[in-house]
Amino acid sequence: MIMLYFLILPLLAACLAPLLRPKAATYLTTLFFMLPFFSILYCIFYGCAEIHLTTFSPPIGEIYLTADFISHAFGLTICIVSAMVALFALPYMEHRFEEMELSVDGEFRKYIFLYDLYAASMLWLVYSGNLILLYIFLEIALITAFLLIYFYGYGNRRWVGQLYLIWSLIAGVLTLAGFLIIGINNDTLALKYIATVGKYAWPFIFVGMVIELPVLGPHVWLPWAHAEAPTPLSALLSPLTVGLAGYVLLRIALIDYSFIVSYRNYILAYALFSSIYAGFSVFKQTDFKRLLAYSTVSQMGYMLVALCLGPFGFIGLVIQYMSHAFGKSILFSSAGGIIAVHHGLRDVRQMGGLHDSIPAISNAAVVGFLNLGGILTVGMLGEFFILRGVVDTFLKPDSSYSLGWTGSLPIILAVILMFILSVWYGFYTIRKVFYGKPKDTKRLEISRYLYVPLFIIGIISVLLLLPPLSTALIPGLKSVIWPLMGMGGVAP
Amino acid sequence: MNEWLVFLLLFLAPVVSSIPIVLAYKSKEWTEKLPYLSVFGIFVSVVMSLYVFFVLPENQQYTYAWIPEFGINIVLITDYLSRYMGVITAVIAFFIAVYGLDYMKGDYRPSWYWFFFNLFTASMLVVVYSDNLFLLFVGWEGLGAASWGLIGHWFRDDDNITYVGKEGRKVGPLELSWPPSFGGWRAISTIRFGDVPMFLAVAAIWVLSPTLNISEIEWGTLFETIGAAGTIILFLCLLMGLFTKSAQVPFSEWLMTAMTGPTTVSALLHSATMVAAGAFVFIKLTWYIEPWTLHGVHGLEYIYLLVLFIGLLSGLYGALAGSGMLERKVLLAASTMSSIGLMFASAAASFWAGHLAVLVAFWYMAVHAFAKASLFLVSGHLIHATHSRFLSGGLEFGKKMMTPFIVTIVATTFLVGIPPLTAYWVKSAMDEVMEHLFHEVGFLPLILLVLTSVVYSGIMAKFLTLNFIKGEKPHHEHTEGGGLMKLGYALMVSVLFLLLYLIFTSEETHEFVAAGALVKHGTITLSFTVGILAFLAYIFALYKPQISALTKLGTFFSDRMYLPFVNDYIMPKIGFFVSHLVQDYGNRGIDGLFNTMVVPGLFGGISRGIRSIQTGYLSRYVNIVLGLVMFILIIAVVGAWL
Repeated sequence: MIMLYFLILPLLAACLAPLLRPKAATYLTTLFFMLPFFSILYCIFYGCAEIHLTTFSPPIGEIYLTADFISHAFGLTICIVSAMVALFALPYMEHRFEEMELSVDGEFRKYIFLYDLYAASMLWLVYSGNLILLYIFLEIALITAFLLIYFYGYGNRRWVGQLYLIWSLIAGVLTLAGFLIIGINNDTLALKYIATVGKYAWPFIFVGMVIELPVLGPHVWLPWAHAEAPTPLSALLSPLTVGLAGYVLLRIALIDYSFIVSYRNYILAYALFSSIYAGFSVFKQTDFKRLLAYSTVSQMGYMLVALCLGPFGFIGLVIQYMSHAFGKSILFSSAGGIIAVHHGLRDVRQMGGLHDSIPAISNAAVVGFLNLGGILTVGMLGEFFILRGVVDTFLKPDSSYSLGWTGSLPIILAVILMFILSVWYGFYTIRKVFYGKPKDTKRLEISRYLYVPLFIIGIISVLLLLPPLSTALIPGLKSVIWPLMGMGGVAP
Repeated sequence: MNEWLVFLLLFLAPVVSSIPIVLAYKSKEWTEKLPYLSVFGIFVSVVMSLYVFFVLPENQQYTYAWIPEFGINIVLITDYLSRYMGVITAVIAFFIAVYGLDYMKGDYRPSWYWFFFNLFTASMLVVVYSDNLFLLFVGWEGLGAASWGLIGHWFRDDDNITYVGKEGRKVGPLELSWPPSFGGWRAISTIRFGDVPMFLAVAAIWVLSPTLNISEIEWGTLFETIGAAGTIILFLCLLMGLFTKSAQVPFSEWLMTAMTGPTTVSALLHSATMVAAGAFVFIKLTWYIEPWTLHGVHGLEYIYLLVLFIGLLSGLYGALAGSGMLERKVLLAASTMSSIGLMFASAAASFWAGHLAVLVAFWYMAVHAFAKASLFLVSGHLIHATHSRFLSGGLEFGKKMMTPFIVTIVATTFLVGIPPLTAYWVKSAMDEVMEHLFHEVGFLPLILLVLTSVVYSGIMAKFLTLNFIKGEKPHHEHTEGGGLMKLGYALMVSVLFLLLYLIFTSEETHEFVAAGALVKHGTITLSFTVGILAFLAYIFALYKPQISALTKLGTFFSDRMYLPFVNDYIMPKIGFFVSHLVQDYGNRGIDGLFNTMVVPGLFGGISRGIRSIQTGYLSRYVNIVLGLVMFILIIAVVGAWL
């Protein structure tokens, strides 16, 4: 099967796109991310084999590209979001360069190179079959994102860029330490051959990835970075990058779940608290992008919660990543749309009634919040599997961690509150930003790039809920997760 | 015809047919024509639902794979409830849509309206025909999203005619007046508050039962596995979804402010979708749980008692609140809440009274749906004609508006249970069911029911008389036109006659007719007495719709007994207090610690300290060396001395 070779295209785009003029470069980028998207879809329906790249001596071991459904699910998301945000970025970045008084053509070359490399490295990260390869792509993503903030961000962008760099480096170094311990213990870093993770490696990886995710405590870097980054970058950083920490944790947990099991209640409590905490924070934000950033923290809490909930939670984690990525890329892009159309408007207090001037962007934002809330989109499945994980872990009479109905009531209530909050802050924000008495009822003519890509993402997010996509994807995830969790393939 | 094609058309025709108008949202010309296509989409659903009703075999299950590995499938069922309810939903939606062609003419965002209207209809149809709980929940969420879109349709909040509540009416810190965008937010926030627990309940059933299909779940076994506490918690979670959707106390506030939406939406929301969905799902679950066979299960009785009393309380609360209302639509909204409460109560009474009670609840839903939809459509027309959302219009006005006048008379009298009109027979059976509870629950249910019926009858008469007979003269009269609107509600109300016919001819409802008998065993029946009471209340309210001596009480009722405080004051206060804590202390503190003050300050301090050494002056280095030498000397001396 050659389908996975399409993954080379995004890397190629990083080399070729800078040679072209902005419009052509954008189209090339979109095309080179859409082709892998379709090839991954093909893989989901018809399957494809992993690709062996090379083998190093221990402790690195074989380097290969995985071809399982977890990678497909993440890869699919990364491809479509990167492709669509690239389209959105065309008018946005041109506008930004003019605003910064830079030459559009010249800067666009720099920008598109960084953008493509950034997105491609994330795509490769989820297909990396070797932890060292994974780490390398993690770092490339980190540095390219840092440069994008540093060059084209808003406000005190240099300071924010450094802040982001330092936090991510701490996360990266801790994770690398964990990976190295794994390598030394197992004599290989190839995912399929790693037998144990061990009690020394897990804490490093866990702490590192929890900073990257982020949850309460280290979460304070995220609002800065996401708010001050140029919006197309925010629209990748928040939906795709931070969630990759969840991906790494999932991969490690699939090898060795013991760490999570031993500290399950603490981690779960922390994750729930963090998510609810961030959910409440959203209501008080005045900067639209910061508001979205706090919502990211809340949503990433979902992922950590899901990680504690066994195999069903894992499926929930993967779907939650997808649904959050769709929703948040739409939302950041609509925030960008407002910035572009309304001359840098970001203060929620000065918004209100914006639907009249930019109905398309407003409606896109609704689709975005529907994704976050898990209403009529693939997020519904995510929530359903997470809830099932809760019941499976804590309520099932034959589960060894069963707390009984009354004993697990606090957990149930907290999970419910966590899910409710997303819709609450979502629709509260929509009302505050887009509805109410409009200041200006004139409909503005805006570039199609600013909203059509968002609706395409929205349509994909709905299609993924329905057959045949979910029919193929969910059992596929099961086929990966169940054997690794020591469960049979029989229907539960 | 293939069954899957029938169902595909049934569900997708409304949605697909409203996509063109969405795409053409910029063109005024097209958005004036394309609503006809949307209505046609709903018409296709009507045809398909009739096909299901007349052609497809009863109690047949149709399964199409979705995620079969996990028991999530598209499972549709043609049981008694679904067949009837499907036709009711589609037909009502179609009549309202026809009316809407006129009513929504010249609106500022037709694309939004028609898309969500059709999505609303399709979602309800999914809920109705679905046998799989997950599929049902997809429709359920569709209802939530569509209702949000429709209630907040006039998002500009710029026209007081779209508001709910009297402008400037203040109670304490609260202004009891709500704009549409707030109505939408309130609806979705309340509904979501119940939906997530319900979703958890569905997930729990998913784990604990081998199937998610309502008709196949072994409910008795399920309840026994999880024990009394489990049953109660599971049901409470489930009921949260049903009660919030159906606006039962204390979640009723959103329904009142939902009247900020276009009247067509209110009509659909109150008759066959949304609020009816909660009661419908409860009826459907009860139909298959058969609680009257599960008296041995611990905990179940408490649940049914709870539903019984929440239903009856909502019934009384809604009727009383309605008695004080002066806004056309809000009065009807309160009365709907009351009716839905009775449906819940009646279905819950089945625990003691058996299968008949469920049937009563369902038939009451059907009668109520057509009657209430007609009344809403009439009040929409009146709002157009008078430019006022408050009850107004005297006999002179009524004569000019003959069609709505007659429709209102028919709809109200048929709805309140005046013998021998349609609702009387259903209400009679309901009286009998409540009477049946005497041994287990006492007389309270019956008393509450009779009280509700009487007040309810009064407020319906009040609606009639203050709009057409004894109301103030409207400031504005525009009585011409509105042909499609008249057609819409005339068709709607005529179905009530059909239902009367069905009650007398259908096999399932012969007990209703028996219950409505004038005399039994030589004495006048309770049902007939209640019917007469309702009639008297109706006549009384017709004659005296407002009692000035009770103005204070009326204001208390029309302020919904201050329930808005829960929604608009207590809950937001708590929420914003928590937000304030986490943002102004939590986030700022952590940010200060890591990013802006403590850690960077520490690094800065150390770095400044180190740098302060490197001044470049020789004297400083000499001083440092001398200092070090002194220090070593002291250490050495102290060391030697010790």
